[in-house]
Amino acid sequence: MGDSAYSFSLTTFSRTGKLLQIEYALNAVSNGRTSLGIAAKDGVVIATDKKVSSTLIDVDAVQKIQSISPSSGFVYSGLGPDYRVLTRSARKNASAYERTYGERQPISQTVKQTASLMQEYTQSGGVRPFGCSVLAAGFDEDLEPKLFQVDPSGAYFGWRATAIGKGFVNAKSFLEKRVTPDILLEDAIHTCLLTLREGFEGEINGKNIEVGILEKETGSFRILKEEEVNDYLNEAN
Amino acid sequence: MANFLGTAPTIGSSLLDSHLTPRPSFTSCTDPSKFLVPNVTDPAFYCRTNFASASGDKDKEQVVKFAKGTTTLAFKFNEGIIVSVDSRSTMGAYIASQTVKKIIEINPFLLGTMAGGAADCSFWERNLGMQCRLYELRNKKRISVASASKLLANTMNSYRGYGLSMGTMVTGWDETGPQLYYVDNDATRLHDNLFSVGSGSTYAYGVLDTYYRPDLTIDEAIDLGKRAIYHATHRDAYSGGINNLYHVKETGWEKIHAIDVNELHYEFADEKNEMVA
Amino acid sequence: MSILAYNGAAMIAMAGDGCVGIASDTRLGVQAQTVATTFQKVHKISDTIFVGLAGLGSDVQTLSQTLKFRKNLYELREEREMKPKVFSALLSTLLYEKRFGPYFCEPIVAGLQEGKPFLSGMDLIGAPVFTDDFVVSGTCTANLFGTCESLFKPNFQPDELFETLSQCLLASVDRDALSGWGGVVHIITEDGVRTRELKGRQD
Repeated sequence: MGDSAYSFSLTTFSRTGKLLQIEYALNAVSNGRTSLGIAAKDGVVIATDKKVSSTLIDVDAVQKIQSISPSSGFVYSGLGPDYRVLTRSARKNASAYERTYGERQPISQTVKQTASLMQEYTQSGGVRPFGCSVLAAGFDEDLEPKLFQVDPSGAYFGWRATAIGKGFVNAKSFLEKRVTPDILLEDAIHTCLLTLREGFEGEINGKNIEVGILEKETGSFRILKEEEVNDYLNEAN
Repeated sequence: MANFLGTAPTIGSSLLDSHLTPRPSFTSCTDPSKFLVPNVTDPAFYCRTNFASASGDKDKEQVVKFAKGTTTLAFKFNEGIIVSVDSRSTMGAYIASQTVKKIIEINPFLLGTMAGGAADCSFWERNLGMQCRLYELRNKKRISVASASKLLANTMNSYRGYGLSMGTMVTGWDETGPQLYYVDNDATRLHDNLFSVGSGSTYAYGVLDTYYRPDLTIDEAIDLGKRAIYHATHRDAYSGGINNLYHVKETGWEKIHAIDVNELHYEFADEKNEMVA
Repeated sequence: MSILAYNGAAMIAMAGDGCVGIASDTRLGVQAQTVATTFQKVHKISDTIFVGLAGLGSDVQTLSQTLKFRKNLYELREEREMKPKVFSALLSTLLYEKRFGPYFCEPIVAGLQEGKPFLSGMDLIGAPVFTDDFVVSGTCTANLFGTCESLFKPNFQPDELFETLSQCLLASVDRDALSGWGGVVHIITEDGVRTRELKGRQD
């Protein structure tokens, strides 16, 4: 990548010391559908707005939450195709880790690897930065559930709860008021749905949002089925 | 394993049982010069390819492998002959014994050493003892070392190519004085003042060639003999155990000592430290 | 002749009560010729992980350096200590990566994981075996198995474990032409590692 003599890096400093390409990439994220996540004591929930641009699109064929290993998952805001490159790399890396060391890759390592890849695309020639931010749910080395965010710059953060994409500022202040350090997963799922509904244009249901949960008890990550999401929504009403 | 069959069936059985598979004759085993050989067109080739065990690894592809790995030495000096050996017997890397007697007392005036196949050495040197005794009975005098070693070399010559494994030194004191011969399974027969045979022989030669003089005192010669064996056992994986040492004099041989070579290691180490101090 | 038996070796790892021990001989030969009598075959990876590498001397050294490098890299990257089980898995994958041009080494791993003994052994292409009593490797495994089967008892205290390892090793190498010439024993406990050298036969 970018090793030709004529492939210059497109991400160059402006006179004021900013990397505009990265800021534009962050704009692409901010324009994307909202995604959010909460790390509870006994698990992590990540969710996203899955509204589509046309009623003709088969929503069942759209899957924004992806599992990376049996015990971790990603969700994104921004450009879908760019996200696919990241999941592909993270899955391969997580598998290689498990094959090498005989145990699951801690989520911090998955995140670091993904962040390194994204950083590489800010300095390489002939490429552009990724147009998406990622939320990663998984376990750390002590098998505690954790939530991370990775940005197009390659910066990454650990969160108790966060949101990315359209309306993320409002969503975050909404979460700040409702998420406590000792929150449990069931509570977190409801809070998550509540936050999502807050910034949602129209009625949310199992078809137009997606929810993924990581349970400490089973140690596994799974994407909730449409009916399960609807059940949670009904409970809230 | 191939059948071992007599080359010449006995008269009786060849007539009566000619329709049966010939059986090896039991009595022929008692005559060492008439060993049963494989019933093939070229028995020497058959033995060579299936039972070869000349020192080295010629038997590595064979089903039948032999115990070997040794250091033996003998040298002539003004006070007679020193014969010094180790006592290890190995089968591959496995140490089968640490207490093998590798100096064979053929008679009170003759010694033979053992290197190569243990069975070949002990059998044919025992056989040599028998031939030497017959010579004494027939001629009313002791056999010379030259003749005795020649008898062994002749035996080896008659089995040349059959894969026997033997590297021996025949020593003794006869009418001509102390004598030292080297005889091996190729029927090589050499006469000299100093020999060393076996996998550890190169190490022994190193010590021997450095310190040997014909005018060594008996004590010096004994020390040289055990020193050379010790160094060989230290460096050679296939040599070790006990150092057996004999002195051949005009009155016949005398056994000087049997010392665990491990004790020699510390004895020589102390000596070296004293020299430095 | 097998390259694995070119230089000669004998080693044992054995579990005790809250402790684990690993012992090896110190000879390095070129077939029958003894070249060195103080060759290191057991390597300390961390305070709780030791690896014994039996086989071709050059590969023993290369592999021990690679393993230390990979362990250090892991600890820097993950900011945590490597566990014996993870080390064993890493070693196994490292060996299989060279499936068609292997390191001529058959390693054994001895470690303490959460105060409990961890033992594993593997062939030169990384097929692991996990045991809770003892593992052996080298040119006299038959001898080593014999002595270990006879002298091993569960739940040895550290000093008993040292005595057993020493006796098993010395008795075994005295019947092997390619190993011996001295030995070394490491006893690993939560309080630390105790290393002692053994005086062996010099032939």
